[in-house]
Amino acid sequence: MSQTEVVIDDKRFVAKEGSLLIDLLIKHNLKVPYFCYHEALGADGNCRMCMVEIEGQKRPQIACDTLIKEGMVVRTKGENIESVRRNILELELINHPVDCPICDQAGECKLQDFYMDYGLYDSHIDQADKVHHQKHIDLGSNVMLDQERCVLCARCTRFTADITKTHELGIIGRGDHARVSTMPGKKLDNPYAMNVVDLCPVGALTSKDFRFSQRVWFLTSTPSVCHGCAKGCNIFIDHNREKYKDETIYRFRPRENQAVNGYFICDEGRLSYKALQENRQVERDRNGAVCSEAEALKAYCKTLEGAKGEIIVLADPNLYREELVAIEAYAAHIGASLYAPLEHYRDEDFADDWLKSSQRAANAKAVEILEIKTTLPVEKAGLLISFNHPDAAQIKAEKVISFQTHIGKDAYDLTLPLAVFSESAGTLVNEEGIEQYCPRAIKRNEPIPTVIEWLTQIEGGDK
Amino acid sequence: MSFVFSKENLERIEALKSRYPSPKALLLPCLWMAQYQEGYISLDAIEVIGEVIDMPPMELYRVATFYTMFNLEPVGKYHIQLCKTLSCALRGKAQILAQLSNRLGIKPGESSQDGKYTLSQVECLGSCGTAPVMQINDRYYENLTPEKIDTILESLEEES
Amino acid sequence: MIKASRIVSRKFDIPGSHTLEVAKTHGAYDALSDAFAFSPAEIVEVIKESGLRGKGGGGAPAGTKWGLMPQDDPRPSYLVVNGDESEPGTFKDRQIISKDPHLLIEGIIITCYAIKAHDAYIYIRGEYCQFQQILQSAIDEAYAAGLLGERSGGEAYRVDITIHRGAGAYICGEKSALLESMEGKRGHPRLKPKQKEPEWYFGNPTLVNNVETIASVPYIVKNGARAYREFGTEHSPGTLLFAMSGHVEKPGVYEAEFGTPMLEYIEHYGGGVLGGRKLKAVIPGGASTAVLTADEVAYATLDYENLRAMHSALGTGGMIVMDEGTDMVEALKNLLEFYHHESCGQCTPCREGTGWSDTILGRVLEGRGRSEDIDKLLELADTMDGKTICVFAPAVAIVVRSFIGKFRDEFEAKASV
Ligand SMILES: Cc1cc2nc3c(=O)[nH]c(=O)nc-3n(C[C@H](O)[C@H](O)[C@H](O)COP(=O)(O)O)c2cc1C
Ligand code: SF4
Ligand code: SF4
Ligand code: SF4
Ligand code: FES
Ligand code: FES
Repeated sequence: MSQTEVVIDDKRFVAKEGSLLIDLLIKHNLKVPYFCYHEALGADGNCRMCMVEIEGQKRPQIACDTLIKEGMVVRTKGENIESVRRNILELELINHPVDCPICDQAGECKLQDFYMDYGLYDSHIDQADKVHHQKHIDLGSNVMLDQERCVLCARCTRFTADITKTHELGIIGRGDHARVSTMPGKKLDNPYAMNVVDLCPVGALTSKDFRFSQRVWFLTSTPSVCHGCAKGCNIFIDHNREKYKDETIYRFRPRENQAVNGYFICDEGRLSYKALQENRQVERDRNGAVCSEAEALKAYCKTLEGAKGEIIVLADPNLYREELVAIEAYAAHIGASLYAPLEHYRDEDFADDWLKSSQRAANAKAVEILEIKTTLPVEKAGLLISFNHPDAAQIKAEKVISFQTHIGKDAYDLTLPLAVFSESAGTLVNEEGIEQYCPRAIKRNEPIPTVIEWLTQIEGGDK
Repeated sequence: MSFVFSKENLERIEALKSRYPSPKALLLPCLWMAQYQEGYISLDAIEVIGEVIDMPPMELYRVATFYTMFNLEPVGKYHIQLCKTLSCALRGKAQILAQLSNRLGIKPGESSQDGKYTLSQVECLGSCGTAPVMQINDRYYENLTPEKIDTILESLEEES
Repeated sequence: MIKASRIVSRKFDIPGSHTLEVAKTHGAYDALSDAFAFSPAEIVEVIKESGLRGKGGGGAPAGTKWGLMPQDDPRPSYLVVNGDESEPGTFKDRQIISKDPHLLIEGIIITCYAIKAHDAYIYIRGEYCQFQQILQSAIDEAYAAGLLGERSGGEAYRVDITIHRGAGAYICGEKSALLESMEGKRGHPRLKPKQKEPEWYFGNPTLVNNVETIASVPYIVKNGARAYREFGTEHSPGTLLFAMSGHVEKPGVYEAEFGTPMLEYIEHYGGGVLGGRKLKAVIPGGASTAVLTADEVAYATLDYENLRAMHSALGTGGMIVMDEGTDMVEALKNLLEFYHHESCGQCTPCREGTGWSDTILGRVLEGRGRSEDIDKLLELADTMDGKTICVFAPAVAIVVRSFIGKFRDEFEAKASV
């Protein structure tokens, strides 16, 4: 398709002939309200909100079903078209409870945004005259449905019909009795189910996991990458520091990346933020007793110096590449052999033919590129230094130093706390070889050192 | 699953498959067969039809709830459907409704205690020239008068 | 005076006309030999020349639609005959189905041949079960007589007809919703195509025509385009099974040529207004056309151009007659309930607009009206007009505007109690 020029609100734009007008509007942030269109789901044309004026056409047209034509002249603003949209929006609100103050979606609700934009604060309609539907339906998979808040955009139903092809959700009934539902007695149940919460443009679908935990406008979003498997789905880490408390992650949300995950993530990845912050290793532990950082460093050096026989270093294949590189250099420096065993991370049951990969180690590819050995060492070691590797306890060793993010069931000679990925920064290489940088999202009140911070201290003490 | 298509219906389904470009086209015909067979369309029937025409049950359920003639709950043995649209209203539908309600002791949307009658009001039956009109199960009753209602109801009583 | 014009209804009064035997003695299937003597393209040409317009309500020129069907496409072509007949005030297709089903079958065979289709479906509204059975018997007879099947009409051309039963949804009369319904989906009208093209059934090119349109084909093919144009006006050639219901002495379906004065038709066939009362209004072409006042009826003629000029429409030609005692607010409420019930619910302005209009007028009738309610109804009509997927909602807008526009006093009176 050839490139062509169109005029929108008196400005010129270049676009592909025959592509969708709404994509162009979205790309250039030309604000036109819309509910039903979604890049991943395509046009359905049911909400009728994306109306624009097109020169030469008698009636307003929906941008999501308008193809770019050479010389097209489009108006998204102006008295006429805005009043058209305002009137349709008003109808959208007629059977809506407009209970934003108690709605979880408030702050990221398109309906709320639009009616604020269009000055429809009070929709003078008797509650008694509204069509009433069910309000708290547990759909399953952590998703709650409020039928009264639903604008019937069919995004969620198209997701289960066209994307996951699991067909749990559907719009049933006709006219203004139409509503989203599962089959009686059936649940929303698929590994990607919670994406419908992000897809829902209003507060009709909410996450039970997130419901009422935070007002969204208090949250800070940091781009990152899920560490649930080698797919490396792009996410936002939504976090906040409440007064007197530590910075907390409230949710992971998918972040669009056409080269990796499109618009979606799996539920397991989405919910992995919880385990990330629970049961953290925060103390330094020497032979079962808490010690200070200085004591810990001293113990570290002593253990290293006293090591008899081979030294083995284990690196978790979830660590950032920069961290792996640093460990590799350190291992060479102390004459240790380095392993990043992958065995533990094979999980055929987890895999599917969409996003989820049977390789559960987020940075397995980087390990491979750095040519780090991926087998489990069988020889007995004089000293084992593990950087958060889950198989540390399986290695036979005289002495063990374990840097770990979470409290484990095994006791070691020296256990040292380690930052999790959201508290560190670095690069992941996903299974297709795509490099993705993750900035640090979380700063704890009392920071836990990252791999690099530990190594810097250790090597500093060394000299 | 408690629903099974009768042998006769299974044969009809097979015959119909050759007449359409896709088995999905058999959705409405299958729902009709299930409704005639059982008196209403049960969730079991929906599952079974889904297998027959290779469609997920939810897609069927969406469709079944769209059409007013499909009963997803059992209805009375005689489903009386009185037209309420304009031509019938102009020609005295209100008296007919009153007569039906009085004789049966039920309001539109209700079923008689013995489960014999269900009374519904429906939209235009496409019989406006012979208004007022009602349908009992598959049969039309046209040019209704209160007296005719009496005779019709009496004949139904005799029938059963 | 009214000229007797019976093209489609010729056999309606003959006892047993729905049987093959009787129908044959009155010329059924005579047009087949004429048809197979033509090439398919020639038949399309004849239909174009005849000016035959679709009789399902839209009045689209049939020939033009037939011409959109591909002549050589690897995909199969289909004919779908629209017998959903759910527009209030319309009950004409039912007459053909039950009184002269063989005329419809004959028309289907010819149309299939012309558009190179071998499979035809007749979509019949679910309520018409009794009439469907008559049609099915006629189809069975036609198969037995070798008129349908592998060698249709004795020619080497296969035509199979299958009846597809609807299940109670007015919107399934809209052609794209009808095809969705036939594909086993909810009856949601499809988004409009970007250019002129056929309809699509499971992705195959498909022609959708109304029952009466197809039933008009044999006459035209047998007698020629000119003979058809002997009836009607230049822009509305031929005849229509006009119908009357409501306050008339003899409601029913009576075929007449286009251009017949409405009042004359009502007097001549309908025997005038019921009980000799005064006429108040007529909805001319099924519920979804703008209501006409008695004054307007006086100069209305039954054709597309005149009714259009009066800002109404011929629609299905099913007239709903209302006498002086009719409460126009109640009448509109009745229709709004219909639209509220029948909206497919797919697009917002229609789903919410029909319901809300119904609610507002209901409030007015209950004496809970507000002075601004009448204007609110008009505003809702604007929001429903020209902004939806199909023309269902715009039709509601037309109905609301015409009722309020022409009988505003009655509405104001009710709203201000
Ligand atoms: C809401 C709506 C309802 C309709 N109902 C019918 C119907 O019941 N029967 C019919 O033949 N056409 C109906 N139509 C018109 C069809 O969409 C279509 O134009 C027609 O079947 C084409 O046939 P024709 O050109 O022969 O009239 C309806 C259209 C709309 C918008
Ligand atoms: S629940 Fe949300 S996503 Fe689903 S149809 Fe309703 S508004 Fe759209
Ligand atoms: S597929 Fe893998 S990377 Fe993507 S969200 Fe799930 S666990 Fe995370
Ligand atoms: S206008 Fe009404 S009937 Fe037509 S598609 Fe929209 S909601 Fe359905
Ligand atoms: S986004 Fe275009 S109609 Fe909904
Ligand atoms: S209005 Fe009752 S049958 Fe048409």
